[in-house]
Amino acid sequence: MEKNKVTLKLENVSKSFAKVETDEVTHALTSVTTTMESGEFISLVGPSGCGKSTMLRLVAGLIFPTTGKLTVNGKEIEGPAPDRGMMFQKATLFPWLTVRDNIAFSLKMQGKLKGNEDKVENMIKVIGLEGFRTDYPGQLSGGMAQRVALVRSLINEPPILLLDEPLGALDAFTRMNMQDEILKIWQEKQQLAIMVTHDVDEAIYMGTRVLVMDAHPGRVIADIPIELPFPRDRGSREFVEYRVDILNKLHFAGKGALE
Amino acid sequence: MSTNTPDAGQVQKLTRAQLKELEQKQLTPVQRFFELIIMILPLVCGIIAILEYILIPDNSRNANPGVYLAFLIILVIVYNIWGWYTAYKRVKGDKVPYEKLRYRAPLFSALFLLLAGYDYLTLKTGILTQPFVPCLNFVANAFWKDRAMILECTIHTLYLLFLGYFSGCALGLVTGITCGYSKRCRYWVDPIIKFLGPIPTSTWIPIMMVVASSLFGGAVFIIALGSWFATTVASMTGIANVDKDFFEAARTLGATNRQLVFQVAIPHAMPNIFSGLTQAMSSSCTAIMIAEMLGVKSGLGWYMNWSKSWASYDKMFAALFVICIIFTIVTKSLEAVKRYVLRWQNGAEK
Repeated sequence: MEKNKVTLKLENVSKSFAKVETDEVTHALTSVTTTMESGEFISLVGPSGCGKSTMLRLVAGLIFPTTGKLTVNGKEIEGPAPDRGMMFQKATLFPWLTVRDNIAFSLKMQGKLKGNEDKVENMIKVIGLEGFRTDYPGQLSGGMAQRVALVRSLINEPPILLLDEPLGALDAFTRMNMQDEILKIWQEKQQLAIMVTHDVDEAIYMGTRVLVMDAHPGRVIADIPIELPFPRDRGSREFVEYRVDILNKLHFAGKGALE
Repeated sequence: MSTNTPDAGQVQKLTRAQLKELEQKQLTPVQRFFELIIMILPLVCGIIAILEYILIPDNSRNANPGVYLAFLIILVIVYNIWGWYTAYKRVKGDKVPYEKLRYRAPLFSALFLLLAGYDYLTLKTGILTQPFVPCLNFVANAFWKDRAMILECTIHTLYLLFLGYFSGCALGLVTGITCGYSKRCRYWVDPIIKFLGPIPTSTWIPIMMVVASSLFGGAVFIIALGSWFATTVASMTGIANVDKDFFEAARTLGATNRQLVFQVAIPHAMPNIFSGLTQAMSSSCTAIMIAEMLGVKSGLGWYMNWSKSWASYDKMFAALFVICIIFTIVTKSLEAVKRYVLRWQNGAEK
């Protein structure tokens, strides 16, 4: 695990997008400076337009910052890489590949599939879809598809796991189950996990740190460490206090959207 | 199964046929009797067709009565064997062959009646004038007597068709995929497609007859052009419409640019590509017939035209049936390949 220890640094990172129809520019993210380390579970929470997805995509290397610098262990991020696994809100499973081949996709792309077939089998076992190995994604339910997407991004054992509202499209019960599944994997591997969500409860339930963000312009307004032991109790007094605190912070910012 | 939650694997093991049977209502004795009648009906109709041919006296001269009769008898025997085979399978517990035959049985019955009716209108009464609308025995005779030549023409047609079709489709895939992927390439190819697109392929044939040094080469070119056009347009739209999310997902999983094309864009565009290939096939079939009728000196199209000029209408009709059969086989084969490649599309879309 030592070799997989990572430190992700954002130094004064800003990202602006040109609007399509007018000449104006949207400031999606303004001067974020923060450090994240292996073993942390960071929740990014805030209303839409606050730049939380932008931040995640910057870390993924899918887009590049307008100003500032993102570094992993001192090395600047130059594009997407399999050591930063990402899970999207849509499962984005490749519909022409079976469950097994979807999970093996990353290994195959890197030419590492030979000799690692047991890794793929193992992942199928982790999510309990042994009976669906040769099924196509079109035959899976939403929850199953997201499970496959999760292990597909985990097959490389990435030291950084990026979760872009991965549970947003699931029903409440599947969602709570998957929260625990993701936590279990994270606790075992001790990666750096960064998750975008607009569910404050989910942010507190899963995160070791919650970055509260606000919109216009997108920015981080608070960095709150959650000092509760796992597994957490959604009904406990401390949990509720955290929730009130975070909602207040967003409320003071003049956006009542979350209440 | 209702007492505890069914294990996913266990539910999977139930086949589609078994499920259907579980959910199906039991047939009443009357319905069963009716089903049996439907299965036997083709045999009855087949025998009617045979008797119609043997018993009713001919209106016009009928040489060598064997071929059509043999054809009818073979059809009846084939149906009989098929029927017994499904019955055997059904006893063994496999209902699928039976259901397939049961689905087709009314059509087969109608086919036999149609043959009998046509024979009655032509050979037996002359309501449809001989030899312009030749009776089936004449057509079958013509086919049997001229089989060597028809076979040669068939091979020639297939050779020309495949040569043009495959070269056109291969080129079309290359241009379509590059243009779908690269904007610069599309910039140059788009005007060509916009200009050539509205011109039906057969329009080129007169031009080819003037310009091309060999008519065979010209025909290949025309068929290839039509196929090229259809596959280029289809694969270009397919590639250009790949969901951006798939690319992003693939990139975070470590795919290189080359892999994005071959492992993501092309498989994603496969449904489009296949609709292009199907369209190309139908345009090729049209083009080849026109080419053979107008200029190329061999092949089934030429054979039809040539028979017509000798007033051998029976041969003309024989060739027509052969064309029907080979084009059906070709299209069905393409369809089968398509079903196999796109098997991920079947299955319950959520």
